Amino acid sequence: MRDPKNLLRSSYSFNRRRLLTGFGATALGGSLSGVVRAETLHHSVADAPVANAASPEDSVPHLGLHQAGVVNARPANGMVASFDVLARDADELEALFRTLTARIAFLTVGGPVPMLDPKLPPADSGLLGPVVRPDNLTITLSLGASLFDDRPWLAPLKPKHLTRMTRFPNDALDADICHGDLSIQICANTQDTTIHALRDIIKASSRQMILKWKQEGNVPVITPGPDGRAESARNFLGFRDGSANPDSSDAAEMDRVVWVGPDEGEPAWATGGSYQVVRIIRNFVERWDRTPFGEQERIMGRAKMTGAPLDRREGSEFDVPDYASDPEGKATPMDAHIRLANARDEASRANIILRRPFNYSNGVTRSGQLDQGLLFICYQANLEQGFITVQRKLNGEPLEEYIKPVGGGFFYTLPGIRDASDYVGSSLIAAARGA
Amino acid sequence: MRISGLVGASALALVLSSGAFAQEASLDLVEPIAEYKIYVSEKVAKLVEDTTAFTAAVKAGEVDKAKALFAPTRLSYEAIEPIAELFSDLDVSIDSRADDYEKAEADPEFPGFHRIEYGLWEKNSAEGLAPVADKLLADVKELEGRIASLTFPPEKVVGGAAVLMEEVAATKISGEEDRYSHTDLWDFRGNFDGARKIVDLVRPLIAEKEADFLKTVDANFATVDTTLAKYKDGEGYVTYDKLTEDDRKVLAAAVNTLAEDLSTLRGKLGLD
Ligand code: HEM
Repeated sequence: MRDPKNLLRSSYSFNRRRLLTGFGATALGGSLSGVVRAETLHHSVADAPVANAASPEDSVPHLGLHQAGVVNARPANGMVASFDVLARDADELEALFRTLTARIAFLTVGGPVPMLDPKLPPADSGLLGPVVRPDNLTITLSLGASLFDDRPWLAPLKPKHLTRMTRFPNDALDADICHGDLSIQICANTQDTTIHALRDIIKASSRQMILKWKQEGNVPVITPGPDGRAESARNFLGFRDGSANPDSSDAAEMDRVVWVGPDEGEPAWATGGSYQVVRIIRNFVERWDRTPFGEQERIMGRAKMTGAPLDRREGSEFDVPDYASDPEGKATPMDAHIRLANARDEASRANIILRRPFNYSNGVTRSGQLDQGLLFICYQANLEQGFITVQRKLNGEPLEEYIKPVGGGFFYTLPGIRDASDYVGSSLIAAARGA
Repeated sequence: MRISGLVGASALALVLSSGAFAQEASLDLVEPIAEYKIYVSEKVAKLVEDTTAFTAAVKAGEVDKAKALFAPTRLSYEAIEPIAELFSDLDVSIDSRADDYEKAEADPEFPGFHRIEYGLWEKNSAEGLAPVADKLLADVKELEGRIASLTFPPEKVVGGAAVLMEEVAATKISGEEDRYSHTDLWDFRGNFDGARKIVDLVRPLIAEKEADFLKTVDANFATVDTTLAKYKDGEGYVTYDKLTEDDRKVLAAAVNTLAEDLSTLRGKLGLD
């Protein structure tokens, strides 16, 4: 007989906990400095940025098989900006990709900003002073369906599942913050660094693309506990977010969940890329704060204070619920967010996604309510089996009363910049010329 | 990491190398500026003439005639906006928009062209507009007088080319300028003509040294021309809502690029 507990425990969060405690123990035992310990801990997308551990010298390599900014940990600040692209042919698109690559190479590595004759406008906005430091900056480029659809020479190369983001039943999409030809995800330790990067990119590419919308967000910075473990950051509903994310430091797991491989029926140029979903999801926080505590937990399916599963309240967020022993949903309701999102059975393994969200806080609505929510970003190798399937399962969930998706888009994250002579999107351009 | 840092920095240097060093201010500007003053004087004289006819129609309650005169009258104003804006009190009373006032359209202080535009198009009436029309005409005449006695500051004249493009980029490409009449393409025409006039006047001074720069600028002006030409209707243009999304993007990119490029024009001429 199969032991259901074993099946359920072979989950990703379980791996992640092992890793975290493992590293934590080494760090403590070896009496390493706090900074080193924090760096060791802070390695997976799900992990919150660790308090007092960020340094302007932190850098993420911008070269590699895959683009940066997907499987590495979230720094405290994130932004998605979406653009309309002007390029009419492969040459113009290549020129845009090369411009962006040059900016990525400078901004993520850093260096002195060029000084021009003071009678001219400055080359750099100066937000970061005379020397740009990397500050954990990543810049991730992804393409929307419209870029392909509007260009007959590019259309045959569109990734198999890439479509314009469809409307889901609870959506109230605002056309001003939806879709786009090209999305740029910018993440860094500080907001100044993300904004500096965005302004630099806009200045360098003004003849090639036009800004359509942007949304900024952040991840709360967490102080690790006495055991050196950092818990997941909380979202604006007050729950820990990221607990059950797959372990993004596990390369094999990321190859399965996130990266598009050569044998998935995708165009060859797309190998090494990923599907990016961006959803700007407003949270009705006043209403949420007027909802009974117990109901909040039943809606989410986790204990609010600790993040523990509801059938294991004494545990931690890294414990996993045992749905097989709770077939009627007495502990974790059948329609709880986490239960619908991941039934944790064999079939749902195909629907695992890597979530990389940021909280956003924009201002006040006309009705005098806070305009806050989640800049939900997720990556997956298969858009249909990933986000779309999970969202379909979530359609009609009780959480919908408290959230409203208002914007975002579906994009395809380009494969990585292989080396200093390569540029982002080179495989697509080569394919477009060959076609 | 270090190595790619150098690559990054040199790539940046390449991107920015052209035109990185400005020249010393030149006496050669005297003539272009004198010519520009003539251009502006002619435009403002035309503005007074047209505004006289426009406000007369408003005061006579001839709504259709006033509507027909609205966009062509503004054309001269839009072309010389960088100079008109030197007199900020007049610019506010001639050309401010409803959003500049706390109560928007309902605000009794909302004046000028756009207050009249609101009445003509939204209310289809000239009722109550007579005092606004009188004030507009008086302001335009006052503008003409002040311009006549103005010494044109060279950096404002040369910088005006970029200012015109910044105006379009920041608040016009969205179609919010002439939001009741949707005659925005006329205003664009005026702004582009005004910017190009300035480039043409200083062109001989930089033709040799900045040939590539001028080529790019001319190409973007040409893009604007071909795009606007598609929307020509008689002497003027169709309404802004007829502009396709694709053409709006083309115009937006051309405007952003012109703003970016023309922002270096002052420095290229050695003006501080
Ligand atoms: C504002 C909207 C949302 C909020 C507040 C929210 C909140 C949460 C929370 C608190 C958890 C439990 C902790 C964790 O495992 O991270 C969770 C889990 C999860 N959420 Fe969401 N979520 C939102 C939207 C979405 C969307 C749009 C999707 C995908 C379509 C999604 C998919 C998931 C998945 C897959 C899990 C993990 C379930 C598991 O494996 O146990 N969530 N969410």
